[in-house]
Amino acid sequence: MRRVTAGATWLARIRALDLPERLRIMNVCGGHERSIAQAGLRTVLPEEIELIPGPGCPVCVCPEEAIYHAIHLSLDEGVILVAFGDMLRVPVNVAKGEVRSLEEARGLGGDVRPIASPTEARVIAAAEPERTVVFFAAGFETTTAPVAALVAEGLPKNLLLLTACRRTWPAVALLLESGEAGFDGLVAPGHVATVMGPEEWSFVAERFCIPVAVAGFTPESLLAAFASVVRQHLDGHPHLTNCYPEVVRPGGNRAAQQMLAATFDVVDAPWRGIGTLPASGYRLKGRYADHDAALRFPAATEQARARAGAMPAGCGCAEVVLGRLTPTACALYGHPCTPRAPVGPCMVSDEGACRIWWSSGKRG
Amino acid sequence: MCLAIPMRIEAVDGFNARCAAKGVERDVSLFLLQDEGVAVGDYVMVHVGYAIQRVARADAEASWALFDEILATEPPPDGGGG
Ligand code: SF4
Repeated sequence: MRRVTAGATWLARIRALDLPERLRIMNVCGGHERSIAQAGLRTVLPEEIELIPGPGCPVCVCPEEAIYHAIHLSLDEGVILVAFGDMLRVPVNVAKGEVRSLEEARGLGGDVRPIASPTEARVIAAAEPERTVVFFAAGFETTTAPVAALVAEGLPKNLLLLTACRRTWPAVALLLESGEAGFDGLVAPGHVATVMGPEEWSFVAERFCIPVAVAGFTPESLLAAFASVVRQHLDGHPHLTNCYPEVVRPGGNRAAQQMLAATFDVVDAPWRGIGTLPASGYRLKGRYADHDAALRFPAATEQARARAGAMPAGCGCAEVVLGRLTPTACALYGHPCTPRAPVGPCMVSDEGACRIWWSSGKRG
Repeated sequence: MCLAIPMRIEAVDGFNARCAAKGVERDVSLFLLQDEGVAVGDYVMVHVGYAIQRVARADAEASWALFDEILATEPPPDGGGG
């Protein structure tokens, strides 16, 4: 009840503000988009405020070549391929008749197993000591830190990593630097900030003069962040605020950051459909070369590299991820693209905007 | 996969904890909170099987309420019609 009241209060405060004609607020987290959609925040906010889902889905931008690589490892190298469940149905572009997802690879006899936690990869590796287990890990910082923890705890000899881990803020920097950011305020991702510290997001205000607030996942935390962004916009003094202080501490989780730094190098990395973004990816450090699936299976790697990194034909996921197209504006949304028969990764992943909009009942 | 949920620590064995939320129990690694000295009875935010931060009890309970709503409105996997 206390919470409901808090949400209503924030809403009343936002309504009382002298709103500009149009204020576009982007979020960059599938969890935020899900809360917004489930709580119906778009319908209760004044129409001047537009909520835009942005780059919040690591599975959606996972390079096609990495998925192709994982498919190949599971079918041709006899490994046990483990991945977060989301990853299994993400389609790659291949000629008709070729295997287009890890799920299809599994149907053809590939030993592909969905996991919910990196710790399960260790359990499977321990149970199958004679076999090579490859953990295909895609995720943003919040997911990459647990992968780093898995490595820091010591990897079993037969457990390798194939990673497509990405940092969130470089995608926002790309949008801001492009000159057409497409948003007037940003809600920064609460659990990324939990791990990396909220300070990572101050550049949005300081370098680009765009209001920014870290938000949690309850409607009232999101509404508090929207109110803060609107206020900053009206005052003309953008500065980072933290509307999720109960979990996001100054400096973040330092132990997690140390593990990330000890495990990965920060490198330029490809984002599917978008291109290579500077300093946006994590690559396993050289000292873990024995556990790097990309190095241990170079033949597969060469084939994987030959794949271009495009989205499926007609799929607007790249534009959806960048906040330049709303899911329902994609010509394929609902016809034929649905969670049951997804055309692009945004309709597959729980964090994909298309999937979230569809699940919350939006029909074109 | 992105959804992190707060859980209560029920038992601890080294870096491994048994945690509970709304009657569901899970094994959770405390490895990322090793400097925090978390103990039985504390609440932690759990993401992909790892505790990533402490949470106050009241905040944990508020998130559970939200989680209930999400589960109540979420169609089953592969659902959503079409
Ligand atoms: S509706 Fe389907 S095809 Fe269109 S952008 Fe979303 S996932 Fe891609």
